[in-house]
Amino acid sequence: MNVDRMALSRRSLLKGVSATALLAGVAAPFAAPGAARAQSADAVRVLCVEDPFFFSLKAMIPDFEKETGIKVELESLSYDALQARLVSAFVAQTSDADVIAVDQMWLGQYLDNGWIVSLNDFIAKDADIDLGDFLPEVLYSSNMWRGQIGTLPVAAYAQGVMYRKDMFDEFGIAAPPSETSEDWTWTKYVETLKALEGKSFNGAPVFPTVVCGSQPSPIVHMFTQVSTSHGAGWFKSFPGAPWDFEPQLTGPAWVKSVEVYRALYRLSPPEAINYVWFDAGTRFAKGDIGMFYWWTPYFYLIKNAGYMTGTKSDVMDKYATAALPKAEGVPQTVSLGGWSLGVPSSSTRQDNGYAFIKWATSKATQKKMALWPDLNHQFSDFARASLYEDDEVKAIYPYLDIQLAMMKQGNGKVTRPPVPGYTALESVLGLTLNQLLTGSEDPAAALERTNGLFASILKGNFMIPYQKESFADSLDEAKALIGKLTKS
Amino acid sequence: MSATIARSPQALPPARRSFVRRNLPYLLIAPSVIMLLALIAYPLLFALRSSFYFWNLQIGPEPQAFVGFDNYVQAFNAFDFQDALVNTLILSIAGTAIEFVLGLSIALLLLRALPGMNVVRALLILPTTIAPIVVGFLFRYLYDPGGGLITWLLKSTGLPIPPEGLLGSPTTALAAVLFADVWQWTPFFAIVLYASLLSVPDEIIEAARLDRASAWTILMRIKLPLIRRTAVIIVMLRFMQLFNTFDTVLVLTRGGPGTSTRTLGYSLYEQGLINFNIGLVSAMTWITVLIVNVIVALYVFFAFRNEEW
Repeated sequence: MNVDRMALSRRSLLKGVSATALLAGVAAPFAAPGAARAQSADAVRVLCVEDPFFFSLKAMIPDFEKETGIKVELESLSYDALQARLVSAFVAQTSDADVIAVDQMWLGQYLDNGWIVSLNDFIAKDADIDLGDFLPEVLYSSNMWRGQIGTLPVAAYAQGVMYRKDMFDEFGIAAPPSETSEDWTWTKYVETLKALEGKSFNGAPVFPTVVCGSQPSPIVHMFTQVSTSHGAGWFKSFPGAPWDFEPQLTGPAWVKSVEVYRALYRLSPPEAINYVWFDAGTRFAKGDIGMFYWWTPYFYLIKNAGYMTGTKSDVMDKYATAALPKAEGVPQTVSLGGWSLGVPSSSTRQDNGYAFIKWATSKATQKKMALWPDLNHQFSDFARASLYEDDEVKAIYPYLDIQLAMMKQGNGKVTRPPVPGYTALESVLGLTLNQLLTGSEDPAAALERTNGLFASILKGNFMIPYQKESFADSLDEAKALIGKLTKS
Repeated sequence: MSATIARSPQALPPARRSFVRRNLPYLLIAPSVIMLLALIAYPLLFALRSSFYFWNLQIGPEPQAFVGFDNYVQAFNAFDFQDALVNTLILSIAGTAIEFVLGLSIALLLLRALPGMNVVRALLILPTTIAPIVVGFLFRYLYDPGGGLITWLLKSTGLPIPPEGLLGSPTTALAAVLFADVWQWTPFFAIVLYASLLSVPDEIIEAARLDRASAWTILMRIKLPLIRRTAVIIVMLRFMQLFNTFDTVLVLTRGGPGTSTRTLGYSLYEQGLINFNIGLVSAMTWITVLIVNVIVALYVFFAFRNEEW
């Protein structure tokens, strides 16, 4: 009898397990996306990228919770992981975030696909957002697409020069200027670096500069500052209307830019061919680099030995910042980038999401983030113009005047056009540039080849000929929209 | 108890009873087969369908147009396809061969009653348990031209190191990626082959020794033939894994310098999760599946042609 009971019991167990597994398997695809997680009305789920701003923002979260009574669930991911997760979640309709970090290159894709909501209505109804305090160049570059404000900037980056004061003094080299001028050109920049070639400092050999060579994004981010300075555009007509994406990589400005970047690589440590963003910064922080240019967060990140370690670097009190060089006779354009926050259209707590964005991008929170002392003060990436005038903040970040001047010359839509399918173009350009640094190929021939690949990709993506509606996307249009939303 | 009797095959009508008896093995394995087909066939068929559409998530959330074989043409004509294929084949074939030979050598050493072997056996499994991404970061530091351990060791022995570093030169980068993989996966071969070698009967080895067979002869004529089936299977598994390498490449070189370390796996990752070109990546997936299956089919054909299974 015991044996029978045992057999029956095992069978029942197997039946139960099978039925559960079957039900779970069959039911899973039909489960409503929102049913995956019960959502509390007084909470907000934030999916963020782990860039430098994240740490000071995270430290301020208790203030938001205290002010609003809304509990924040904050999660951070790397750049690639964040984009992969967001897109997968949007396509599968399983997004459970109320606020997401959005790179400027993703904005058009997210708005066009209806994955994030336009913030125009939220802003128009909001009396104290103080939209006019945001730098219009930043909003235009990172947050606007086809007349919609899709996101608001939580961390805005321009590019600028960092150099070793002590090294320049030692070798009698004039300090680079803090303002853009016709005397401070890329030719002059390379000449200045050449004055450091073969030198030793404090008993160690010096590399005049350091560049990023790793493909695709790091080298493209750094190179495009040189190319934009030289007036090298990607397409026949963009962002101005009518949009025409016929690639234009064969002009003399592109060739000249490659020659400049090649010269910079020759003055860098050879291993820079594999350097990604932070490798260049941490190399400068080690102390054997004379001068380099990079995203403005490195103005403060190089105070750390290593990447965001909090340990003071050898160059902490020995470096200064300067304006970016320009090309002869070409108006300066500076690369603008950074991170912004948006509200997914799938969110059931969009008001909470907007409340969080408004708080995180507000002058008060951004100032608190700047004053947060950990990691040797790690936040000066303001899009708020008023913070560049704040004495308390300027005392900690003495380079803010230079950073603001670079921001005001910024145009992220020209430097790296945020067009649909941008990453495929970046892959090809990054590879070509990487090959050009180590190889001896003629830049004109390599760019001709790349131009052909661009055309092939753009045709494959139905961008040539462009059949959708164009949009006259200019800074003036952006200012007009800001004015309109501010008045309403 | 009565319920059990009522449901037994003897209680069924003769025709049904006969059907159940005849097909019982098939009925028993049917759920597994159905599940397996659903898990393997559905994604593959979904990818096959997608491969005939222009579907780029950066352009729109839905498939945008039927393009026939355009995605396959685009994949073959891609700037990196040929380099990626060659690199993948080098990595897969060389990696599998090196790891097998080294793994077998370690397994043979483990068979010897040398002091400290218990500790070695325990330590050996460690690299295999580390995620490839972590291995990538570890080797990034080991290869650092400014003081990485491997760079320093090679320099100490007088070997020339490219000025760009082992990962920065097109001549050494692929070998550097391969070495990281060999470090991680050789223990896998060692452990599996060691377990397999333990099953070789001692009497046969003793008899061979009495016949004055050399260690090499014993290995080639007795041990290897006896562990052949295990060896064939793990070589096949490892080859397929190596063919899909992308994580180590992502961390160490991102496919560079140039295309010198680009693999098909990395290209798939880039097209799928960076460029979100679902149509193109589906075509590339099918091309990869076909290549791997042709190679594996040939391998299985030659490896098992004299076997009875």
